[in-house]
Amino acid sequence: MTWGVMSHKLGCIAAEKKIPILGQFELTARCNLQCKMCYVCRNALDKQAISMEKTAKEWIKIAEEAMDAGMLYLLLTGGEVFIRKDFRDIYEELSKMGFIKSIYSNGTMITPQIAKWLGSMPPAQIDITLYGGSPKTYGKVCGDESGFERALQGIDLLLAEGINVQIRTSVIKENQEDFERLAELAEKRGVDLSIVNYISPRREGFCTNPEGERLNPKDLVQYEWRVNNYYHNKMEKSKGEKQNKNSEDELDDFVAQPDDGHPFQCNNGKSSFWITWDGKMIPCSLLDDPYTLPFETGFSQAWRDMTKACSCVLTCSTCKQCSLRDYCMSCPARLKSETGSFTEPASYLCEYAREMYQLSLDNKLTGGLVNEKVHKTYFRND
Amino acid sequence: MRIKQGFLLREVAQSWIVVPIGQRVVEFNGLISLSESGALLWKKLEQNVDKEEELVTVLTEEYEIDAITAKQDVHDFISSLHEKGLLEQWI
Repeated sequence: MTWGVMSHKLGCIAAEKKIPILGQFELTARCNLQCKMCYVCRNALDKQAISMEKTAKEWIKIAEEAMDAGMLYLLLTGGEVFIRKDFRDIYEELSKMGFIKSIYSNGTMITPQIAKWLGSMPPAQIDITLYGGSPKTYGKVCGDESGFERALQGIDLLLAEGINVQIRTSVIKENQEDFERLAELAEKRGVDLSIVNYISPRREGFCTNPEGERLNPKDLVQYEWRVNNYYHNKMEKSKGEKQNKNSEDELDDFVAQPDDGHPFQCNNGKSSFWITWDGKMIPCSLLDDPYTLPFETGFSQAWRDMTKACSCVLTCSTCKQCSLRDYCMSCPARLKSETGSFTEPASYLCEYAREMYQLSLDNKLTGGLVNEKVHKTYFRND
Repeated sequence: MRIKQGFLLREVAQSWIVVPIGQRVVEFNGLISLSESGALLWKKLEQNVDKEEELVTVLTEEYEIDAITAKQDVHDFISSLHEKGLLEQWI
């Protein structure tokens, strides 16, 4: 049984039985960068944020409880995880517990020493965010041109230690022209490039304006078309060769069965959860309602309350009946994030669906999405 | 013979999963899926086992299975573990 098939099987059972198999720990909101589209970014030295962060001991305890409840996959993210002075303590303890761990980082704080240490007990994968294909773009998006070279150096140090790396980007106005350069940087290193296409209005954040920075729906669809064509052409050229390792059986790892009657068509609130830096359990990174308090009630109670609350979330009847539903990327979290309500259609998402439909018509595509395989492989829904 | 240090057997989502922990991830970055009987043998192999017969007994005591079949199953199982480099000693 391959990793992907096994993960899919486990994911399906977990969703059906409401087992929290995938946990995401947002260890800090602080970051050394200030990216324009970030939904959670506090200054690296923000004393208030530091005082509100959960301690290493608290994260380790909640991980033990989550392990007992069935957590197998664990993502450590931020903010920037390496900004925590005790990240090493947390990671080493978690490494003893039997999780399949992954990390999100901007890579700029990875030194040869950190890479070597991480290589001694590597995560299954580390995603390094790279928000520009040059120092200039990177500086415009993240506020620090020098971060570009440091991030690349971080990636190369991790690769030298044999760690599985993926480059990750989010598309906004400032970096939309950099896609090909980012793809080249990834290809040169033999790693995958994953793109977050949907930018959510901020969940929190002191200095960012994601809505103002994101592409308008028409430009976003055109961007996706460009990416689609780039990879489609690559795939055509390399037919018969090994494809991107994210594709095929790994694609559906955590995709729930559609139309199971649950308000969430993904696995959030069914088998996966997110714990924020200040201690709230939420269904996913975008959505802070409903929430529970695992550090106060204990993990199991918080998880039970979370799954119950998620199953009661109202859905948007307009979206349900919409003829463009297959072209839309709407979900309860995005609707709530866009409109403040689970039941109101979001104009940004509606316009995106219309643009995607028009693109399909213009290019005589069937099935709505451009090249569904490419789309699923390279665009991340988070 | 015994299972090498650095692996953890877990029951997750109604399945038996072996996960490498700590520095063991360097040489084995993945998952192992075991059947219920495989998990039973794995637990036994977490302690030192002198002879394959001890494992055969584990199976015959737990399941309605004849000794010949159990012996073959045990042999196949430990051969597989050996091939994957999961055993400290091989007899």
